[in-house]
Amino acid sequence: MTLSPLIHGGQIRRAVFFILVAGLALAPWVLPTQDRPFVSTSTASFQRQVNSAAQVPPSELTLPLKPGSVRFAVIGDSGTGDRKQYEVAEQMAKYHEKFPFDFVIMLGDNLYGGDTPKDYKQKFELPYKMLLDAGVKFYASLGNHDNPNERLYAPFNMSGERYYTFTKGNVGFFALDSTYMKPAQLAWIEQHLQSADSAWKICFFHHALYSDGKFHGPDPDLRARIEPLFVKYGVDIVFSGHDHVYERIKPQHGIYYFVVGSSGELRFRNLKPSAQMIKGFDTDRAFMLVEVVGDELFFQTISRTGKTVDSDTLIKQPAK
Amino acid sequence: MQREEIADRMKSLKFISVVTCILALASPATVARNAQGVPVQEGVNPDALILRDFESRVSEYAKLHKAIEAKMPALKPTDSSGEIEHHQHELAEEIRKARRGAKQGDIFTPPIHVEFHRLITIAMQGQDAARIHTSLRSAEPVRLRLQINADYPANVPLQSTPPSLLMNLPKLPEEIEYRVVGNNLVLCDAHANLVIDFMAGAIP
Repeated sequence: MTLSPLIHGGQIRRAVFFILVAGLALAPWVLPTQDRPFVSTSTASFQRQVNSAAQVPPSELTLPLKPGSVRFAVIGDSGTGDRKQYEVAEQMAKYHEKFPFDFVIMLGDNLYGGDTPKDYKQKFELPYKMLLDAGVKFYASLGNHDNPNERLYAPFNMSGERYYTFTKGNVGFFALDSTYMKPAQLAWIEQHLQSADSAWKICFFHHALYSDGKFHGPDPDLRARIEPLFVKYGVDIVFSGHDHVYERIKPQHGIYYFVVGSSGELRFRNLKPSAQMIKGFDTDRAFMLVEVVGDELFFQTISRTGKTVDSDTLIKQPAK
Repeated sequence: MQREEIADRMKSLKFISVVTCILALASPATVARNAQGVPVQEGVNPDALILRDFESRVSEYAKLHKAIEAKMPALKPTDSSGEIEHHQHELAEEIRKARRGAKQGDIFTPPIHVEFHRLITIAMQGQDAARIHTSLRSAEPVRLRLQINADYPANVPLQSTPPSLLMNLPKLPEEIEYRVVGNNLVLCDAHANLVIDFMAGAIP
């Protein structure tokens, strides 16, 4: 039997046309697009500062490893317990051999879906076992998927508090509970930022004050309440998660903002770049490595597959 | 009627009127009531009385929480996640037992409900209104069938409570917090992960 009785030439042409159209429409989802960062075209002046991440060979470290520097990693929205989280964790362990960071800050959603001992094991203890065994400390902040009682879990180093501070070298860190920003916490932030005498002040918490993530976006009420304190008391860097993407925002009121919400969860192609975005990455999971020395902060953002998707050097803004 | 009899009756009437006057003077003035039916003392802000009532109910709960927790081994930061889970579970169980008859409205009584509605409406209608609404939309709104004395489900995220809203509500003891769940306002025991009371339709 030939095809001709069943399919006429016109039908074949229509079928080919349909396949081509469908193929073009689906291409971005089907073709391998992971590890492709995009840079906002509206931020040309900022692109000049950005090292071309595409030029960094896989697994190559861009950080200077200066003596006496403060070295840490950043993860957010990590606690899924799935294979991808473990792959990010393996990548972190690989980089730890080249860049022996002392600690990791966690931007919340440390345990999704529950907080039984099994959850702690599968979503934290096992994926980060190599780092924990190497003596790397984790400092957690609480996300909206976290039970506030995680504050009592010693490996999260929260000293039993929902918000707390610690200092490493010349850097002061302030972990906040953005899910429940009660007046007492606002007063605490003000008091501790005011009295901190560290050269760098870094705040980390779950909900982003600036984000081009389509799913959540920024939290304007939180921003209205805490950003004036950050500006007043000279906060330099803010790390947040919640939107499951990576994004670096143009400095706002002299503060560098990062969204690192894809170290476990991912919302594929969820960024809608605006003029405030310097760099975004939403096609795979990511974590950050950071090194602070003197008035310089070096960072490298690395994908689940080990590729560098962003890196740069930030200079501490002069005090006002 | 004889003169003596009339004099006796007059004496009785005088006595009755004197007693009536004394009683009238001794009895409290007519108690005014506010729109919510709460007695209002002259010179006292009726809203303050309602909030005082709320604080006293919350304080009663906090006293109960502390008394129960004091009987349990103190929980300090620990490597054992099982210990944290056990402590939370035991605390919740004991509180549940102690509040067996608890029902919705025990803390958010009708007058307190009205007063909270007023406070929330002020926050949501002022200059912060648009911001608070946007924050609530971006805060991962959740749907949940609320039940007094039930655990807050571990697999349901916490909808963040806008700070401007919290600034307009009465302060709570450390272990208790307000949570927004959909358009409801929930009082939660954060240490026991327990729903204490809730106010349906609190968020306009």
